[in-house]
Amino acid sequence: MGTAQLIQNLLNGISIGSVYAIFALGYTLVFSILGIINFAHGAIFTLGAYLTYALAVGQFGINGLLSGMSLERQLPFALALLVGSVLAGAIGVLVERFAFRPLRNRGADPLLALVSSLGVALVIVNAIQYLVGAEIYTFPAGVYGELPPALMFQVSGHPVVIRTVQAIIFAVCLLILAVVGYLVRFTKFGKALRAVAENPATASLLGISVDRFILVTFFMSGFLGGTAGALVGTSFGVAGPYFGVTYGLKGLAVIVLGGLGSIPGAVLGGVVIGLSEAFVPADYGAYKEAVAFAFLFIVLLFRPQGILGRKQLQKV
Amino acid sequence: MALLELENVSVGYGSIQAVRQLSLTVEEGEIVTLIGANGAGKSTTLRAVSRLLKVRQGAIRFDGRDITSLPPDRVVRLGIAQGPEGRQVLALQSVQDNLELGAYVRRDREGIREDLARMYRLFPRLDERRHQLAGTLSGGEQQMLAIARALMSRPRLLLLDEPSLGLAPLIVLEIFSIIRDLNAQGVTILLVEQNAKLAMQHSARTYLLEAGQMVFSGPSSELLEDERVLRAYLGG
Ligand SMILES: Nc1ncnc2c1ncn2[C@@H]1O[C@H](COP(=O)(O)OP(=O)(O)OP(=O)(O)O)[C@@H](O)[C@H]1O
Ligand SMILES: [Mg+2]
Repeated sequence: MGTAQLIQNLLNGISIGSVYAIFALGYTLVFSILGIINFAHGAIFTLGAYLTYALAVGQFGINGLLSGMSLERQLPFALALLVGSVLAGAIGVLVERFAFRPLRNRGADPLLALVSSLGVALVIVNAIQYLVGAEIYTFPAGVYGELPPALMFQVSGHPVVIRTVQAIIFAVCLLILAVVGYLVRFTKFGKALRAVAENPATASLLGISVDRFILVTFFMSGFLGGTAGALVGTSFGVAGPYFGVTYGLKGLAVIVLGGLGSIPGAVLGGVVIGLSEAFVPADYGAYKEAVAFAFLFIVLLFRPQGILGRKQLQKV
Repeated sequence: MALLELENVSVGYGSIQAVRQLSLTVEEGEIVTLIGANGAGKSTTLRAVSRLLKVRQGAIRFDGRDITSLPPDRVVRLGIAQGPEGRQVLALQSVQDNLELGAYVRRDREGIREDLARMYRLFPRLDERRHQLAGTLSGGEQQMLAIARALMSRPRLLLLDEPSLGLAPLIVLEIFSIIRDLNAQGVTILLVEQNAKLAMQHSARTYLLEAGQMVFSGPSSELLEDERVLRAYLGG
């Protein structure tokens, strides 16, 4: 592999890896607070893609309830992404309110929450199909405004291409990771959030409203999932209501690889899997999806708690 | 009017009835001790006041206001703090973060800073360990942190669940003298203790619980002389 190819692969891997990171972070936040995997997260990813598409492009295809319709006003891409993600976050809040909280209040087995979130995923996916059909929606080339479609430069005589969308994806994800990292690590909000994650009863003795923090967590998680879906959608097209399923599973591989419940772990896991996919030779492109899981399998052989996961700290 | 009043309160876990028809009062400015054998329902009572457990029957009032069905965070905002049994420090956060979270319900930055400094004066061991993870403190240090953290909310009523548990005798005395100082500064205290004799010596009134029910209430001095009680609870 030449230097140019190497650099190209690195750039591709870091860009897609950063989306995996923010998506997986959505799983991690909910997991650290409730100790459960929210299986609706992949569906919220899908939803985020459709919402952003609807707001930024607003042209619907030939199937579904909204067939042939188009929205009168379109938002600039950045605003559509923001509003779409906020709406995805709001759906996340509804998922908590109606799928998780009632079970939690009745002290139900966490396994039931898992089943319940799978149910929500199905509802979301079916609702999307009902509304806009199963066709592929792609963002038109001009959606980012006047930007050129790609940047190109030469490395020892070979071209390296950075698509504009890749740069946008990376910048957005980096911004989000910085904001979330700062919030969780350094603010009063973050300290309270970590207190709820560590021990909800103790947190409530300190005057922290646990239920409210759980809602906020689901909002953040939904926002992250929605942004990730929109970014992947704008890069590769929104490939039908089930397009979040693969990413949902890949996100699980990412958090287990990075270490369950670890925020830096989710980020590192995302980048590692993004990079490893980028280095799959083009001839073996069909096996790309398997790479995440092969990687996971190998790491878990040597580090069952994931790369940055810690063994359960003794509660004192 | 009593600062805290429990009226015929029953609390339980599933099919277990842990506290039955319990009535007690704590007047403003008092130290009141709640004693009883293991499993008598002392911690359950404090958890009910802090609203971690559902009250099945009866009413809890704080400063005349019915708090029986408020969520736990609201109760803290009203001025009730608890240093829970087994300390329950946030092991993964630093000493200082634990203390700052103790002041979670407050908005007065200046006052919080002053109180933080006050806690470090009160517990110099915590001062030396500000940036250490709370989970790595010794048992005694964690107990101090749990008390200091509860105080950071500037409570009117402090509930302490076995603050002397597992501590060396000298530290126990230190903790009790701090409790007394706090009380002198105006904090009302409801104290649960296994170390019954010491607790009663530091409080004006005592309630004795047996299998979830109140069997004695009165001046601590009276109970300290009671042969029956001495034998059963103080190993005398
Ligand atoms: N989480 C729980 N689930 C079920 N039963 C419980 C629970 N916590 C306490 N109990 C039961 O309730 C009763 C009262 O317990 P509680 O913790 O209030 O006792 P205590 O007086 O504080 O005892 P100790 O001095 O040992 O701390 C006991 O019989 C106990 O087994
Ligand atoms: Mg107890």
